[in-house]
Amino acid sequence: MMRLIHGISYVGYIAWAIVTGSVTIVARQFRFSRPYAEPMIVEVPLRAATDLEITLFASSITITPGTLVTAIAAGTSTAPPVFFVHALFEDSEQTALEGLYDMESRLLAMTRGRAPVSSPPAHVSSTPIAEAGPERGES
Amino acid sequence: MNDVTATVLVGVFGISGSLLMLFSALAMFRVRDALSRINVFSPATGLGMPLIVAAAYVYVLHTEGFAWITLLMAVGAFVCLIIVSSVASNTLSRSSVLSGQPVHRKTSPNRLAHPPAGVVDVDPDAPAAAEETGES
Repeated sequence: MMRLIHGISYVGYIAWAIVTGSVTIVARQFRFSRPYAEPMIVEVPLRAATDLEITLFASSITITPGTLVTAIAAGTSTAPPVFFVHALFEDSEQTALEGLYDMESRLLAMTRGRAPVSSPPAHVSSTPIAEAGPERGES
Repeated sequence: MNDVTATVLVGVFGISGSLLMLFSALAMFRVRDALSRINVFSPATGLGMPLIVAAAYVYVLHTEGFAWITLLMAVGAFVCLIIVSSVASNTLSRSSVLSGQPVHRKTSPNRLAHPPAGVVDVDPDAPAAAEETGES
């Protein structure tokens, strides 16, 4: 039941994102003084794990005007799968990642029934393992 | 549905959908590389074409009356357009990157070319012999 509610709100969220993104792409053409777009390619480590979640997330990113999935790196035993997302109208890498993680949280709330509690994975995922190593050696 | 409502709805959906197609095409001239062009065309495929389908459905509804088969066709076309354009854009962008198309020189940051600061790229799937004889 919760999945249904989250699913409906997710569809509404995507529809609203499509409308606002389209308005941005059209409206920016009438601002002649500033450059049209600031393209960037950001790296997004994923919390989505299953094939269905990753496929839905990639499609959701791409259907939103202004963001585009350019490459997908498979996950390994230590690193999560990674999207490389081409974004046109974001102010900085940080705001682009925040928007994408917001969308991912809503998507996971739909597929899993509740929003994930874990924070987005950091770029340097090996740090905790490196710190735990010496302690094990001493004991 | 009276004539005025039908005409207004068909006009609003049809014209806004067509204008979205036009402005998406114009936006493709404002950006400089293949990835950005695929990116700025998504309003046309993701919103413009579904709006034109909506206009066509309202027109059919007004002239021929309600029928389940036309509603099913309209909803099917609406959903399929959105899904297909998304998957097609993914495929286009992937093939554009894999074929070595250059990205715009002002693309910053470009994480496909430069990893974030402090990250060392290690390929865990590389054979062990490659690490010993790798470029050091």
